[in-house]
Amino acid sequence: MIRLDNVSYTYEKGGGVSNVNLSLGDDEYAFLIGPTGSGKTTLLRLIYLDLFPQVGKVEIDKFKSDKIKRRKIPYLRRKIGMVFQDYHLLDDRNLFENIALPLHVIGVEKDEIVERVNDSIEEVGLEGKENHFPMELSGGEQQRACVARALVKDPDIILADEPTGNLDPVTSFELIKLLEEVNREGAAILMASHNYNLIKGRGHRIIEIQNGTVRQS
Amino acid sequence: MDKMIFLFSEGLKNLWRHKLTAFSAIFSTFLTLSVTGSLIIATENTSKVIEYLRDKYKIEVFFKQNISDDRVVALAKEFNSIRGIRSTTVITKSDAEKIFKSQFGENILDMVGYNPLPASCVLNIVKNQPDAVKIRPIIDRLRTYPEVDEVNYQGRLINRIESYYQKFVKGMTGLLILVLLISVLIISNTVRLTIFAKEELIKALQLIGATRAFVKAPFVIEGVFHGLIGAILASILLIGGLSLGEGILQSVTGLKLQYDTLFLISVLCGTGILISLVGSSRAISKYLK
Repeated sequence: MIRLDNVSYTYEKGGGVSNVNLSLGDDEYAFLIGPTGSGKTTLLRLIYLDLFPQVGKVEIDKFKSDKIKRRKIPYLRRKIGMVFQDYHLLDDRNLFENIALPLHVIGVEKDEIVERVNDSIEEVGLEGKENHFPMELSGGEQQRACVARALVKDPDIILADEPTGNLDPVTSFELIKLLEEVNREGAAILMASHNYNLIKGRGHRIIEIQNGTVRQS
Repeated sequence: MDKMIFLFSEGLKNLWRHKLTAFSAIFSTFLTLSVTGSLIIATENTSKVIEYLRDKYKIEVFFKQNISDDRVVALAKEFNSIRGIRSTTVITKSDAEKIFKSQFGENILDMVGYNPLPASCVLNIVKNQPDAVKIRPIIDRLRTYPEVDEVNYQGRLINRIESYYQKFVKGMTGLLILVLLISVLIISNTVRLTIFAKEELIKALQLIGATRAFVKAPFVIEGVFHGLIGAILASILLIGGLSLGEGILQSVTGLKLQYDTLFLISVLCGTGILISLVGSSRAISKYLK
């Protein structure tokens, strides 16, 4: 499903990734582990084509980085749910509106939006908080809201960039379990983290990245 | 359909969310359109004045003595087809004799024993063309007829009036274009402020797979509302001001301002929507580039 062939990307001021070869199956759950600045975020940005490889090729289903037209990128991103360390929730919208946004983007009918958003809210355990604004939620709740927003459009892949970075260990552990449930429902998950203790022993594939190079996969 | 309703409601909600920038955009559109409306009314009324003056322009063509009345009528018909001529009036030798009698109270035949007054033709100039009326080519053409003895016209006066009028029209058009361009730039920069304030939203939309059009639409719809509200306010100001002011103007100067209310509102709303549309599209397109 996700395939990176000899991918390299270097920022103007240095850093990035170099000669990455990687593939991730349809229902795989993998951790991308490495210290801060090792290239985890760059790798994820290359997968959702926020960056284009300077060398090599990224392939996600039928989308290929060397052939895709810019106007087609939104259609690739509709297949991917993204979860970020700093949540990226919109402060001027309540929880329901934040989660509903991806469905408005893909043109889902109003009644179906209500149904799917409520399902997602229930799945992440935020029932009763629909009308709360992000500022009125705790860090863990905001991160679960972020997961709900990623799940609501029923993505094939979830990319999570340090989703536990701002969470305490208990909440972090709950989030990993939540993503495991999502994975069981059929979505591939690639979660970046620098915290090895959090992910070890869970039986998932671990991809190690250091100085922009994938060491172990 | 639900998507359209969502985008429309987002545009409308943005008006409230971005109150300060909405106020700036509406105010600049309002000012631009007030100036635009004033220029339109001034131009419309100046063109009425020029029409009145052109109505007074006359070219008198005197024919040679030996020409028959039938030929005079035929020539007048020909003159009528010259570009710039609105109508012609034929004065035959016998008409001229009658005019002489009515003006001087004496019969010219009794005075000199024959009718020395030539047949003539009065040519009236077109009055409602936007371009300058060019008298010189008409005169040159009239003088090519061998039957024509003399051509009288108020050449210098007509040229001066036409020259001033053309300068006025050009000046007004230039000013209007300048005002509209400045307005597009102001609106564009105001919307850019909104966009920078909404960077987070735009980034989030792009990450969840929104197309360029989907990201643009609420900003453009918001821009259209700015334009429409600015146009409505400018219409109220202008029409209210004109209703109050025209009575005073008429009593002081005797001039009656002429304007078509519906036309004015349509032009202001159309222009308001257009400049806001261009301004907001330009701003968001530049950002998304």
